[in-house]
Amino acid sequence: MKKTAIKFVMCAGLLGAAAWGATSHARYSVSAAAAENGATQVKIDNFSFEPKEITVSAGTQVTWVNADDVPHTVVSNDNKFKSKALDTDDRFSFTFAQPGTYEYFCSVHPKMTARVIVK
Amino acid sequence: MKGFLGTQASFATDLNLVIQLAMGIALIAGTFLARAKRYKAHGACQASVLILNLVMIAVVMWPHFTTLVLPRIPARLARTSVAVPTVHGILGAVAEMLGLYIVLAAGTDVLPKAWRFTRWKLWMRIEMALWGIVLGTGFGTYLVWYIGPHR
Repeated sequence: MKKTAIKFVMCAGLLGAAAWGATSHARYSVSAAAAENGATQVKIDNFSFEPKEITVSAGTQVTWVNADDVPHTVVSNDNKFKSKALDTDDRFSFTFAQPGTYEYFCSVHPKMTARVIVK
Repeated sequence: MKGFLGTQASFATDLNLVIQLAMGIALIAGTFLARAKRYKAHGACQASVLILNLVMIAVVMWPHFTTLVLPRIPARLARTSVAVPTVHGILGAVAEMLGLYIVLAAGTDVLPKAWRFTRWKLWMRIEMALWGIVLGTGFGTYLVWYIGPHR
């Protein structure tokens, strides 16, 4: 019993240290790709949308492609569009009929945000 | 809703991680209660963790597993992002069920005598070891899914 308890205390310590290290590591800022006006494809890679901002004309179809190993979603802040969980190489498209600024995010990783500006 | 641990995870996922670590510590504390022969407190401590874990499974882990992992099995099982949560899910289910069985067998009269184990310490130690592995694979899942780099 004593040995088991010692093993679990050691295990918890290791987990705690790993958690601390992991969160420290995660504080890096993900570099955003430069905005490319007119682009109709948004790549999802390394926990970010690239480009983070695109400007398109009304009626343009924008396609998101997931290049990450983990699933992502594309969800607009005002629920105007919402994809299912996109696996690696999966695509989601939406046609922007009305001008405006459309902010969106990944519901699995809410810090992943970007926008589409429709003129 | 954004998380609070500085990773890519959501608030619910971060909260789940913190609660899981706290529950791991509570289980270890519970073993010391048994060692001190405070069996009622030991039972209450371990049973509380099991019940809280059931809530976390229902609210956070099961919905994530069914929408994000299950559809990728078996096609993507070779990938770390699928393999780790799959192992975590399977072992976690076994640990939770074994834990509930131990609570029912050791702490209540619900089960018939023939269904109760007699080697208490052995099974409780197996449960603790299993829980430790599940905690580790759960943390591994968090690392792969919300921290990366994953390729």
